[in-house]
Amino acid sequence: MTPFELVEPHTLREAAGLLASAEVRPLAGGTAVMLMMKMGVLRPARLVSLRAVEKRYSEIAAAGGELRIGALATLSALERSPLVARAAPVIAQTLRMLANVRVRNVATVGGHLAHADPHMDLPPVLIALGARVSIIDPAGGRTLPLGELYTGYLETTLGRNELVAEVTVPAQGSRRAAYLKCTTRSADDWPALGVAVVLEADGALVRDARVVISAATDTPTRLAAAENALRGARVDEAVLRRAGDAAASEAAVIGDQHGSAAYKRELLRVCLARAVRAVLDEQ
Amino acid sequence: MLGALTKDLGVAVRTIRFKLNGEPVSAEVPPHWNLVELLQNRFGLTGARESCGQGLCGCCTVLVDGAAVSGCLYLALLVDGAEVMTIEHQAAGGGLDAVQKAFIEAGAFQCGFCTPGFVLMTRQLLDENPDPTEDDIRHYLSGNLCRCGAYPEIIEAVKLAARMRKAER
Ligand SMILES: Cc1cc2nc3c(=O)[nH]c(=O)nc-3n(C[C@H](O)[C@H](O)[C@H](O)COP(=O)(O)OP(=O)(O)OC[C@H]3O[C@@H](n4cnc5c(N)ncnc54)[C@H](O)[C@@H]3O)c2cc1C
Ligand code: FES
Ligand code: FES
Repeated sequence: MTPFELVEPHTLREAAGLLASAEVRPLAGGTAVMLMMKMGVLRPARLVSLRAVEKRYSEIAAAGGELRIGALATLSALERSPLVARAAPVIAQTLRMLANVRVRNVATVGGHLAHADPHMDLPPVLIALGARVSIIDPAGGRTLPLGELYTGYLETTLGRNELVAEVTVPAQGSRRAAYLKCTTRSADDWPALGVAVVLEADGALVRDARVVISAATDTPTRLAAAENALRGARVDEAVLRRAGDAAASEAAVIGDQHGSAAYKRELLRVCLARAVRAVLDEQ
Repeated sequence: MLGALTKDLGVAVRTIRFKLNGEPVSAEVPPHWNLVELLQNRFGLTGARESCGQGLCGCCTVLVDGAAVSGCLYLALLVDGAEVMTIEHQAAGGGLDAVQKAFIEAGAFQCGFCTPGFVLMTRQLLDENPDPTEDDIRHYLSGNLCRCGAYPEIIEAVKLAARMRKAER
């Protein structure tokens, strides 16, 4: 790694104010930043550590049917939180398949969301649940649906001096959810496809559906045609096939070393059906 | 050498203070060192060693404020003010603990390069879950790799350590 200067401001807003130049990079858990610096793809002159900012940005709270998760909360804190287990069990289930104990002990929710690697597991799940992300800058801030944060591979709408401050997730309530991660080489490899499904259903009758995929596309992507195929339908083999075909034709699937585009489209058909069945079987 | 290099580049070496295996210590650290470099270069502790360098294998496991981290992905400067514990930490009395004894008893290593990480992670697992199922063990240790492939013996060792800890209580 090339040398750099480390600064540790005491407020998140102050941190945002230190990000003016392209040579400066925020550092949360550092698990992605350290890897990028070791690979030489990131050579910052200065890192702004967020670990000394206000404690409230590490907190997880539940109020008004929503979870509020501070950007500096670790993935382990999320995994162990009884509030998360109660309000959105699919998050805790997803965390079990995410990285390993040591990475989860250090990695933060804000770093996880801002990194914008489409292979990451929480973005599709949180987008499917309807999460919103709050962003802070030196003067004010803004809030947007999490899905609108992502613009491309490792690219977000975050301005240079903006930081993720918090993510708000509506509780699952009567909604049931599942996340399916499909790896094609080893279990701990980056996935070829991630599928998050959130359903409002009475038995096999789907009242509302949200489907978000990751890894196979450049950004986590909501699949409206697949959702339409499920919404109002009584799920059987034919409905699942229609939803799978809709998903495979609407998603901008990209081939890579985890599988060709054609292979991943087939995976999508199969995994979407499995994810929907997993949700309905759970009822 | 690195000290000279960073001075040339105009980046300040910083003095940090922390607790290392129970002892208050301080060290001069170039900002880009990771925790493994700090432990090896300043304290001669080689139990945490870098292998994959990417967070995947657990050979560099260190406990920072009681939580296991990959030393290879942890900036050394960030342990300023923290409590750091490595495999070299000796329990009061100095002997081996149940996990270490169980690894020897089960023959859970060949070359031993991965063993410090497995031992530290096993202690964490048993602190959190004193009676883990085989599935729990495999899941918790999925971020630790053993190139010698001693996995069957490692899993036996963890089960044995759980029994030994229970008997000690
Ligand atoms: C061994 C290993 C295995 C992994 N396996 C998985 C896996 O199975 N599934 C998965 O989803 N992920 C996996 N990951 C990726 C991991 O989830 C991310 O590295 C981690 O979540 C990033 O969080 P962090 O706090 O460490 O971010 P950092 O490394 O600190 O930062 C990541 C990026 O976000 C920026 N940033 C940080 N905080 C903020 C903020 N508050 N606002 C704006 N920008 C910010 C940084 O500048 C950087 O660009 C793995 C990583 C490793 C090392
Ligand atoms: S060397 Fe750090 S996890 Fe492999
Ligand atoms: S004993 Fe050799 S790597 Fe595990």
